[in-house]
Amino acid sequence: MIVADPKPFGQVKGYLENFEKILIVGCGTCTTVCLSGGEAETQILASGLRIAFGKEGRSKTVLEACVQRQCDEEFILPILSRVEEEQIDAVVSLACGVGVNFFADRLGKVPIFPGLDTTFYGAGMEPGLWAEMCAGCGDCITAHTGGICPIARCSKHLLNGPCGGSERGKCEVDPVNTDCVWQLIYDRLKTLGKLDELLNLLPAKDWRTASDGGVRRSVREHLYRLK
Amino acid sequence: MDKESSQISAGDELATCTAACPVLTDTREYVQRVSRGDYEGALDVLLEVNPFPSVCGRICHHPCESECRRKEIDSAVSLRMLKRFVVENTKEYRASRRKKPAESREGRVAVIGSGPSGLTAALDLALRGYRVTVYEKDSVLGGMLAHAIPRYRLPAEALADDIADILASGVQVRTGCEVGKDITFDDLRKENDAILIAIGLAQSHSLPIPGIDSKGVILGIPFLWDMANGLYPELGDRVLVVGGGNVAIDMARSAKRLGPSKVYLACLEKREEMPAWKWEIEEAEEEGIEILNSWGPKAILEKDGKVSGIEFKRCTSVFDDQRRFSPRYDESETTSVEVDSVILAIGQKADLDFLTKTPVAVDRGRLNCNRASMTTSERGVFACGEVMTGPGSAIQAVATGHEAAKVISHFLETGETLELPQKTLTTIGDLPPATAALAKQFERVEVSLLDPAERIKGFSPIEPGYKESEALAESRRCLACATGACLKPEALCAGCLTCVRVCPFGVARVDRTAVMPARQCQTCGLCAAECPAAGIALSRFATNGMKDALKAILSRSDAANIARPFVVSYCCLNETTSRKYLQGQTEEEIVQSGVLRVMIPCVARLSSIDLLSPFELGADKVAVIACAENGCFYTGAEELLVRRIDRAKKFLDEIGVGRDHVQLFRTDGSAEESWPRIWEELRADEAKTAAPGELVKEGDSR
Repeated sequence: MIVADPKPFGQVKGYLENFEKILIVGCGTCTTVCLSGGEAETQILASGLRIAFGKEGRSKTVLEACVQRQCDEEFILPILSRVEEEQIDAVVSLACGVGVNFFADRLGKVPIFPGLDTTFYGAGMEPGLWAEMCAGCGDCITAHTGGICPIARCSKHLLNGPCGGSERGKCEVDPVNTDCVWQLIYDRLKTLGKLDELLNLLPAKDWRTASDGGVRRSVREHLYRLK
Repeated sequence: MDKESSQISAGDELATCTAACPVLTDTREYVQRVSRGDYEGALDVLLEVNPFPSVCGRICHHPCESECRRKEIDSAVSLRMLKRFVVENTKEYRASRRKKPAESREGRVAVIGSGPSGLTAALDLALRGYRVTVYEKDSVLGGMLAHAIPRYRLPAEALADDIADILASGVQVRTGCEVGKDITFDDLRKENDAILIAIGLAQSHSLPIPGIDSKGVILGIPFLWDMANGLYPELGDRVLVVGGGNVAIDMARSAKRLGPSKVYLACLEKREEMPAWKWEIEEAEEEGIEILNSWGPKAILEKDGKVSGIEFKRCTSVFDDQRRFSPRYDESETTSVEVDSVILAIGQKADLDFLTKTPVAVDRGRLNCNRASMTTSERGVFACGEVMTGPGSAIQAVATGHEAAKVISHFLETGETLELPQKTLTTIGDLPPATAALAKQFERVEVSLLDPAERIKGFSPIEPGYKESEALAESRRCLACATGACLKPEALCAGCLTCVRVCPFGVARVDRTAVMPARQCQTCGLCAAECPAAGIALSRFATNGMKDALKAILSRSDAANIARPFVVSYCCLNETTSRKYLQGQTEEEIVQSGVLRVMIPCVARLSSIDLLSPFELGADKVAVIACAENGCFYTGAEELLVRRIDRAKKFLDEIGVGRDHVQLFRTDGSAEESWPRIWEELRADEAKTAAPGELVKEGDSR
């Protein structure tokens, strides 16, 4: 799941100073799950904006909507129509950056602003806590590391760790909250009886599958360009 | 049944209390209305299906309580007492809501007998517009309710309240008119299009044993009849009642009130087999009645033609393998008791003499009738109540009255009989032990009966009703079964598991989307408050849409004139001990006091948006008044509420309103004492109030 955090309220409000009719659009998938951009947060942000602008004696209309996913056209078409029909001046997306981009490509002259800061691909560790688990590098190496990703979960993205900052199983960057991933990998491989994996040094990674290779696309031939 | 509660639709999973009630009273709904201080609304729910709520509030055997799911947690909700409270506190309203039928229809019906079944049928038919006349041989209406239930259990006024309602519908009555004597059955047939026989079981059985004709042997029903009419028979100093049912208990307790030094009750059954209700037996024993179990009468002992005692033989079993009444005795074991009178309460039968020489078939002392179509052997002659079903409860009789009205109405319209379909009820099922174990226990509010020594001094009612504070407290023990959380149809549930994680009862689960099984859900609303998709509602529980409710209130009030600072106060209604704060505020009250109350059954249901929206609507401050420390029904709710309010405070800082503008308070003592202090304190607090807000339209910032 993609995790995103709410932007500071003042920042979002700042984007909207010069617009009169604003639509806040929530996303019913990842950002609902990480409690930052679903229907409830959409209502809260919209209400906060109405109160804050109202306090300044400014007359603005702040409307709300939420769609199942902002990263597929069918789901956002009704919003695009609404923006046109209701002459919305600006849209705020409470999806990850994908939603913001996807809207931006389709909104014509109407600006879109992010309500969230998209942070990582992560998992829910406990109620109210998410942690990064994957870096989306395009060439998964976890087969060699007991299923644990050193790129996403090592502060230094080391392919052959640990570094000297590993102490009592914790990472020197944040010893309170962060495990040393190489300790985790070692423990995991030991449990699996595969400690010998550690004798094979991982070669330097080809980052062309990651962002270094340009904008990535993913094609499924059996449906792609279906007439 | 003729009338079913509008709260209940076909195919509903019923709460177990409702399903247990012969007339399917929407128990949960009336109890919830009591808890909100809406006693009139509660009465509406009761009267929708039961014209005898006053009687039932006193004497119903309350099968609803036997099936109350709260007993899995601690003990059943005291539903009969709540019903009584409603009826006793809505008398004026009840009189004002009486109505006559809107239209009149062709068709005349004679109802023979004015017990609960006959009068229920008469009322239903009258309200449908038919001309109904009830024939009652006695001078007062009510049948066994008027004559066979001792006054200490059912005061005459309680019955009169119910009957007054029925008469107001336009039902005609002819009291002191015995069919077969004062008017012939044939005449009735000529004058009416349909006849309903609802004569109950008004005659006592006797016993074929030696000495039965002695002076001092009294039949039960005539005895109760006399007692109800203030004719107290000479019983002597020692009395023995034969029988183990509720009627026998009534007789023994009534006899005790006439002053004999000793009253016995002897029955065939073992203690645990006695058909009388357990609590009735216990109350009788408290009053000094001695119960002799497993004895069958062998002979009445007499001296000079007058009872001197009774001889018993040991009863070894009462029922055969098929649970049929078939007593067996050990003749070698006998005992005798010296008494001055013997009252027989060994069962009742119908007095069907008036049907002799009529075509209505009677077979071995029983009316030939079909339970499904309520018909007799004669076209247009129907039956209901105990004459058809055999001995039963008042509320069962009411249920058959509704059914009779339905079939008669069909007959009058079409000339056809109607087979009532077999009712299949689906309930939400038992409360699973694992859920019950997580629910907090709250003691049932009991009222103490009068001291037994006081009780036996006369026929005054022995049970005081609930005080208002007691009724409110007891009503809040109701679990509101089957009104719990459900996913809104339009919800964008992402299966995020938040509901699963906050549910204090381990009920919510995600099965692709959130699922809160009605059987387990305890209706706390925490999942709804925390759902990031704002996608969970509480079905049939009017605590959602706080913002809409606020808007509705504010749109009526002159928001600009409300005294400043204007406080929206969310209050836990469970803390109120009277209707003072439960009843709606007038616009003037809101404008002058500067306080708008929003009553909520547990403020932990408030979502973050509920905490913010008052500011949008013009409030300066929000007070959340929770229950007293540890007083919450729901484990963990308090912590979630505190965290939610903390979050709201931070957000209010961010948006420039200021964290102090929302505050959490606890009720200290009763709501009535504590809350005004809170409002005063909060309004006196000089923290800068928000910009003078005005009522805003959806979407507008001002």
